[in-house]
Amino acid sequence: MKKNMDSIKVNLSEALELPIDITLDLPRICLIGNIELSISNHKGIIEYDNQVIRINSKSGIIKVTGNELEIKNILSEEILIIGNIEQVEILG
Amino acid sequence: MLAIKIWNNFKGYVIIRIEGLQLERLLNLALSQDIYLWDVRRLNNYQVEICVSPKGLAYLIELIDKVGCKYEILQKKGLPYFIERVKHRKMFLTGFILFFLIVFLLSSFIWKIEINGLEQTPQEKVVEYLGDNGIMSGTPKIRISEDEVELLLMNEYNYFSFIEVQKKGVKLIIDIKEETISPEKVDRSYPANIIAAKKGLVEKVVARNGDALVEAGEIVREGQVLISGAMLTNESEIYLVHAEGEILARTRYESEVIEPIVKKIERETGNIFKQKGLKINNRGVRFIKDIPFTDYKEYIREEKLFDFDIIDIPINIITYEYREIEIEEIKQNIDTLKNSNQLKAIEEINLQIKEGAEIVARDIKHEINGNNLITNVVIETIEEIGKKVIIDN
Repeated sequence: MKKNMDSIKVNLSEALELPIDITLDLPRICLIGNIELSISNHKGIIEYDNQVIRINSKSGIIKVTGNELEIKNILSEEILIIGNIEQVEILG
Repeated sequence: MLAIKIWNNFKGYVIIRIEGLQLERLLNLALSQDIYLWDVRRLNNYQVEICVSPKGLAYLIELIDKVGCKYEILQKKGLPYFIERVKHRKMFLTGFILFFLIVFLLSSFIWKIEINGLEQTPQEKVVEYLGDNGIMSGTPKIRISEDEVELLLMNEYNYFSFIEVQKKGVKLIIDIKEETISPEKVDRSYPANIIAAKKGLVEKVVARNGDALVEAGEIVREGQVLISGAMLTNESEIYLVHAEGEILARTRYESEVIEPIVKKIERETGNIFKQKGLKINNRGVRFIKDIPFTDYKEYIREEKLFDFDIIDIPINIITYEYREIEIEEIKQNIDTLKNSNQLKAIEEINLQIKEGAEIVARDIKHEINGNNLITNVVIETIEEIGKKVIIDN
């Protein structure tokens, strides 16, 4: 049932040219080089230290690994991570 | 980014260190409460440093207590905290206010009187006179009015032809232009030079005091020093005296008068042609018709279409009035014209010649150039051209 609903949403947003991240409530992950990562529409922090940051989202857990990671900003909608980013994984 | 930083500094922010085990949970709770956090730095497993606004801090502390962490405020930064700190430093604040007060106070006085353009009047005398009337350095600016100072000087020194007084910062600047006064009237207690008031050929030099720098037969230009008040002693040291003497020089005055031989006289015939126009907001509309006269004078009159006192409606009616004129040509007798021209020219020169000048030559030339009669009058005089100028003024 949920899968059906999602496929309808995908088709609809394609037909109406709506941004898919909004219709499906998905996170938008934007990586600038390897120094800055912004995630909008997240669902909270799971783990935070200098090497690993794990952030919950609709598509699963986003795991960021690297060195000297730091959260520059956190808002309820958006999170901004800076540092030396080595890996971004989505664990569904 | 910079704008945000400035904004944060303006609103003030707090750097806080939180110790505990459930730090992620705390961050998530802060997120759900919409507390804006930035520069979140993880120090180690159980410590984190966070920047937060003063408003958010209160909510955050509540959450910290709820989660069971400890906190320590490391630094308070920004304008509100700075003001808070300054409030406790009373002497600093008084000094700050006192500084501005003193600057304001000191700049509301005149500290220097600058007088420019004095030649024949000793500057000290003018300063002394102003001082007697309450205008000296140290007088509050408010008590000095430019117009009053001008009037004061005008009354005392009637030979000042131009006075301008300005207050600039802490200076009172007085610009003066003097008329030439007779050398006897210049104060003798001050050293002075005698300079040439006008161009001329020197005929005779009598130096009663001071060094004569010119000889008879020399041509001097305006402003040249004729008798110097700076004299050399035998040990070649300079000492200053009040130069006195007479310099007679041959000077020249010239005047030219141009008058048309055939004169045109305009006379109105009484024919009038009128036209109306409309003007809205300084833009004119005009109903053009041909003017039925060849020679005419134009008179323009503007009237308001609506004349209310309260509102100004910018619609004007313009009346153009053309009056026909007749031009009559009158040929004047040349001899009479020559005479009248000559009289006019001489009259003009007489206004310039000083009293006591001796007229030695007069040359009158008439010339007809097309319709014009040009009369050129040259008068040569022998007169005193010396003008005393006080040294070091």
